[in-house]
Amino acid sequence: MTTDPILRIEDVHKSFGATQVLKGFSLTIQPQEVLVLVGPSGSGKSTLLRCINLLSPPTSGKIWLEAEEITAPGVNQDRVRQRIGMVFQDFNLFTHLTALGNVMIGLSKVRKMSKKEAHDLAMLELERVGLVERADHYPAQLSGGQKQRVAIARALGMDPHIMLFDEPTSALDPELTGEVLEVMQQLAVEGMTMIVVSHEMGFARQVASRIVFMEGGVVVEQGPPQQMFDNPVHERTRAFLRKITDMDSGD
Amino acid sequence: MEFVQDLTTTLNFIVQGLWVTIGVTLVALTVGLVFGLVTAILRVYGNAFFRQVATVYSVIVRAVPVIVIIFILYFVIARIVNLSPFLAGSLALGFASGAYQTEIFRGALQAVPPGQMTAARAIGMSRIQAIRSIILPQAVRLALPAWGNEATLVLKDSTLVFVVGVPEILRRAQQVSARTLEPFVAFAAALLLYLVLTLLTTQVLQWIERRYRLQL
Repeated sequence: MTTDPILRIEDVHKSFGATQVLKGFSLTIQPQEVLVLVGPSGSGKSTLLRCINLLSPPTSGKIWLEAEEITAPGVNQDRVRQRIGMVFQDFNLFTHLTALGNVMIGLSKVRKMSKKEAHDLAMLELERVGLVERADHYPAQLSGGQKQRVAIARALGMDPHIMLFDEPTSALDPELTGEVLEVMQQLAVEGMTMIVVSHEMGFARQVASRIVFMEGGVVVEQGPPQQMFDNPVHERTRAFLRKITDMDSGD
Repeated sequence: MEFVQDLTTTLNFIVQGLWVTIGVTLVALTVGLVFGLVTAILRVYGNAFFRQVATVYSVIVRAVPVIVIIFILYFVIARIVNLSPFLAGSLALGFASGAYQTEIFRGALQAVPPGQMTAARAIGMSRIQAIRSIILPQAVRLALPAWGNEATLVLKDSTLVFVVGVPEILRRAQQVSARTLEPFVAFAAALLLYLVLTLLTTQVLQWIERRYRLQL
């Protein structure tokens, strides 16, 4: 059985001045895949995510989202981003808006819904992340885990075809990571295609359909979690995964 | 007793300038707000050309005494386009205040964390949408304390339009003083009015500030 990939990244390069971060990165993702991207810091994981949703477009190379080449000239980048949800390490909730307002604003300003429609859908999205009772709270009144769940609801409200998570739990206290990972796991179960940059190896083992190890701006090795953890081909992969797995169980 | 009566009569005359003072201040603040916001946005988010134009405006206007701008508008520009003393004075004050408000809003825009823009773009907002719906509402709140200060400065600078004959509080106080030869009463009345106006303005602005404070 073959399906059309939902995302195809072909030979993407990205440089900032003289610094080359991505050096010919290629990857294909099928619908409903949950891909966990790991690699040492500076290996280009975050840069890759920002290339995919064109927040900082690739220097060269091509990216297709479903049938559309989104790196082609003349593409409406705002419309592309609407179809790619993104969740940030430091949440980036809009500080002047309540939890509900954070989810609603994209619905009314970008999806052009009426106030009523936007309100109702936003409440549904907050329900998905278990935060209906926090709807009227401002970000400053929410815990880190709650903020990140609102950020996920905000992204989901745009009805994205794929979700990118940029270290969604690394700014959180350890006891708060669970609630965020649970929401992400639920999303995976519902069939959302996800690319997750994370060093949560428990999550990777349980939820990922594939683990991609990148270093120096290219893919070093990829495969199902079982194979990557138990029987990696490259010595670098083995060493890196052992190191972060040790850190994980260290506390 | 006589002093109190004098003061009351004088106040009655001068109070008619109160609305002129308020009018000049409101027009100047509004003009300054528009100039300030637009120029600040251009300076922070505009292309190189607009950034340059905005910078030149802000730097030059802040380097020139306000009264020179009032004279230029009234004696030069009002010759070409028909401007009443009230309008010439208010517009000049507004034009000058705009330069200061530019700096206030520029600082506020730059104080909004960059992640706010990134997050807005990530849900599909255009740059302009993001500035309008996400950045500006936060920047305006951040700017409020400094803006309130500028508002009281403009209120006090509104006395300057007296040089082109606008019958505001100070102008009327001076008229009374010249007529009655009682400068103390005349200027004491003016002083009282300005004091009340400024304190009221400050109170209102502080209320707005508390009401819309950003929780960070």
